[in-house]
Amino acid sequence: MTEITEQNTVSEKFVPKPDLPPPPNTTGAIGWLRYNLFDGFLSSCLTVLSLIAIGFLCVNFYEWAFTKAVLEATNRQECRITPTEFGTCWAGVEFWFKRFIYGRYTDSEIWRVNSAAIILILWMVPVWLPRVTAKLNIALTGVLIFPFLAGYMFLGGERNWFMEIMVAVALGCFITVIVHSFLCLVTGSGISKWIIKLAGFAGRSERLHKVPVIVSAAIMFLISLFVINGVAFKEMSNNLWGGLFLTLVISGIGIATALPAGILLALGRRSKMTVIRVLCVAFIELFRSVPLITILFMATTMFPLFLPEGFHINKLASAIVAVCLFAAAYMAEVVRGGLQAIPKGQYEAAEAVGLTYWQSMGFIVMPQALKYMIPNIVSNFMGLFKDTTLVSIIGLYDLLGMINAVSQDPRWIGLHHEPLFTAAVIFFIGCFAMSKYSQHLERNLGAGHGR
Amino acid sequence: MSEYSSKRPGGVNAIINDERYRSVFYQVVVFGLFIWAVFSLIENTQINMATRKMAVGFDFLKNSAGFAVAWTPLDYKPSDSYFMVYWVGIINTLILAGISIVLATFLGFVVGILRLSRNWLVAQIASWYVEVLRNTPLLLQIIFWYLGAFANLPRPKQSIEIFGFESLVLNNRGLYIPKPQPEDLFWLTVLAFVGGLIVAVVLNKRATKKQQETGKYISTLVPTLVVIFVLPILVFLLTGMPLDWDLPLLKGFNYRGGGFVLPAMLAVMVALVVYHSAYAAEMVRAGILSVSKGQTEAASSLGLKQSFVMRLVIIPQAMRAIVPPMISLWMNVVKNSSLAIAIGFPDLVSVFMQTSLNQSGHAVEIVAMVMAFYMTVSLTISACLNVYNKKIQLTER
Repeated sequence: MTEITEQNTVSEKFVPKPDLPPPPNTTGAIGWLRYNLFDGFLSSCLTVLSLIAIGFLCVNFYEWAFTKAVLEATNRQECRITPTEFGTCWAGVEFWFKRFIYGRYTDSEIWRVNSAAIILILWMVPVWLPRVTAKLNIALTGVLIFPFLAGYMFLGGERNWFMEIMVAVALGCFITVIVHSFLCLVTGSGISKWIIKLAGFAGRSERLHKVPVIVSAAIMFLISLFVINGVAFKEMSNNLWGGLFLTLVISGIGIATALPAGILLALGRRSKMTVIRVLCVAFIELFRSVPLITILFMATTMFPLFLPEGFHINKLASAIVAVCLFAAAYMAEVVRGGLQAIPKGQYEAAEAVGLTYWQSMGFIVMPQALKYMIPNIVSNFMGLFKDTTLVSIIGLYDLLGMINAVSQDPRWIGLHHEPLFTAAVIFFIGCFAMSKYSQHLERNLGAGHGR
Repeated sequence: MSEYSSKRPGGVNAIINDERYRSVFYQVVVFGLFIWAVFSLIENTQINMATRKMAVGFDFLKNSAGFAVAWTPLDYKPSDSYFMVYWVGIINTLILAGISIVLATFLGFVVGILRLSRNWLVAQIASWYVEVLRNTPLLLQIIFWYLGAFANLPRPKQSIEIFGFESLVLNNRGLYIPKPQPEDLFWLTVLAFVGGLIVAVVLNKRATKKQQETGKYISTLVPTLVVIFVLPILVFLLTGMPLDWDLPLLKGFNYRGGGFVLPAMLAVMVALVVYHSAYAAEMVRAGILSVSKGQTEAASSLGLKQSFVMRLVIIPQAMRAIVPPMISLWMNVVKNSSLAIAIGFPDLVSVFMQTSLNQSGHAVEIVAMVMAFYMTVSLTISACLNVYNKKIQLTER
């Protein structure tokens, strides 16, 4: 019996035939086309229709943007390509472009806006560098202390004692952040370790380590106080602010206040204390159920009435407060969504270890919840960036306000489409980048459906 | 008992550390601060209003508004009261938002399904449609549609005749349409239509019930169509076609008669529909993708027809994921319709919060009334949403 089977296996060893080539037209470019574009009659029809539509759009756009383009002109009349027809007046956009970005800010002072932007970027870039330590401190100082420096750089003029101190602190912080990040990148250890080592405290006990750090911080503060002492910028009143710069200032302040305020409101909404819960729910529901434009109108008409006698609030400040209130209410709902995603066991475990409410929120719940929330937070920021355009309705000259102002300039009267297109491109780039970044975060943090 | 408690060390500390007392204390403090803030705001407002000689109270609502409203379906004259203006604004906002909601939802479903198409080109176009629209501000889009399309329309003499109809024309004054003018017996047709709807609903319910009990499927498509459409048409013909059309006619420099819609309204409507359809498309796509593939396979293996798989298995489950975000999108449409103010369509914010407020100066009352309207709408919508959520939760378990 066994012999026979052995013989069989030996004599009839399975030799596979060579693979047949795949049927023609199912691989390569043709196969892809057949499968994705011409898969059946309906699909082919849709493809052809889409191609016609794309072609039509492209031809028209090319004609509008390039064939009819007028690149050099000093007013709209020179943009005519025939006596009856205007060309696409890119010259007007070029003429106004600086105004789109900076509003009516004086040309000679624009460097202040630019350098504040560069300072912010340099301040925040270390947060994204893997080797840098103490990222939380860097981010917090960037959000809490940088605004004073930026505010002074934008506004200029006289400083009172408070601004004097805050600007000095901010400058000191900025220099510290830069030096710290540089040291981290090059040597792998942060600025405090270096100070301790250089001061010769490395061998002493841990408790004494903060002495040289505090001393050098104080020296840093005094030096920056001394540096800024003689420096004063020309005053630029905030009705000169405008364009993309103003849009970013309003949405930036809105974003910076929305997150902490939203976290507090969301915690309040889930609180066991009835009074606090009711107040938070009322605030959130009120500001979420009315349109932003009504809040802005309320701000401009009613905030001046709310203030005690002798106080004045300008339009920009009212608008910023309105945007902050609105953004905080929306952020609170995002945070609540994140908090609800945390299993109850986490809260109970934190309590069981004996953490207080704020400890358990700060160390256990929030770090996990923030991970779930980040994509929603980014899309909320995107929405705020877009919604900031509404301030143009109450008469502020943000990017859209400047676009509308072009068509009222006597030299460029009636120039609408080109500036609008420019603004749309600017907004699209900003928002598209943000949404792609949020998708990237979603994938990296694994909070999505994928895993 | 008292002896025991007096022996406990640190009686005061025990109270301070007791969570209940602390929570009461915090609540009292917060409540006190809140009351103090409200009172000081009211006091400041009263002082400021007194120094500015602003009147308080809702009496101004009876005064004559004295300004014309560019478009309203209501019978409004400039001599009417401010309250009438409020009402006109509400109706205009609701009409604008209502039409936009229906069209945006429909377009959103189309684009959302196209995004899932196996045709690569179509899916790409749909996804770029969504990206471009979601990443630019709505206000910019509204201004773009207005200045780019609806402000450059020809004068009435060179009107565009849509589909070649002489009484359906588009020009720089607006879109002119024939206006139906019901005669005496028209109410019978309306009655037949409403009755037909009720009968159709009952028929469908009974068919579903029978299918659940016996498993026998009865197609109700034909009887439904007959009851809803054929019956009213028959009644309409039998009563002698009691409907007249008021046609717009070119007289002098402008069209007279018929119904018309402002170019600004068309622009806002197109912008609202297109912008929100992009969001709706994402919801539809996410909803359909949220139904796992196993459901399709399980339904097919039970032997259901392809159309039944879609209708009885996939769509009901997808709807569960689509409807809640869709309803909050509708709320957003209502809120965003207030942006119509940017191009001068007379909605609630424009006629009441801007023109009436500037004229009468009653800022506090007017802001409160406008906010009350929007809050009513959104609370109503979220109440409906809660009812729906309860219902689908029941079917889930």
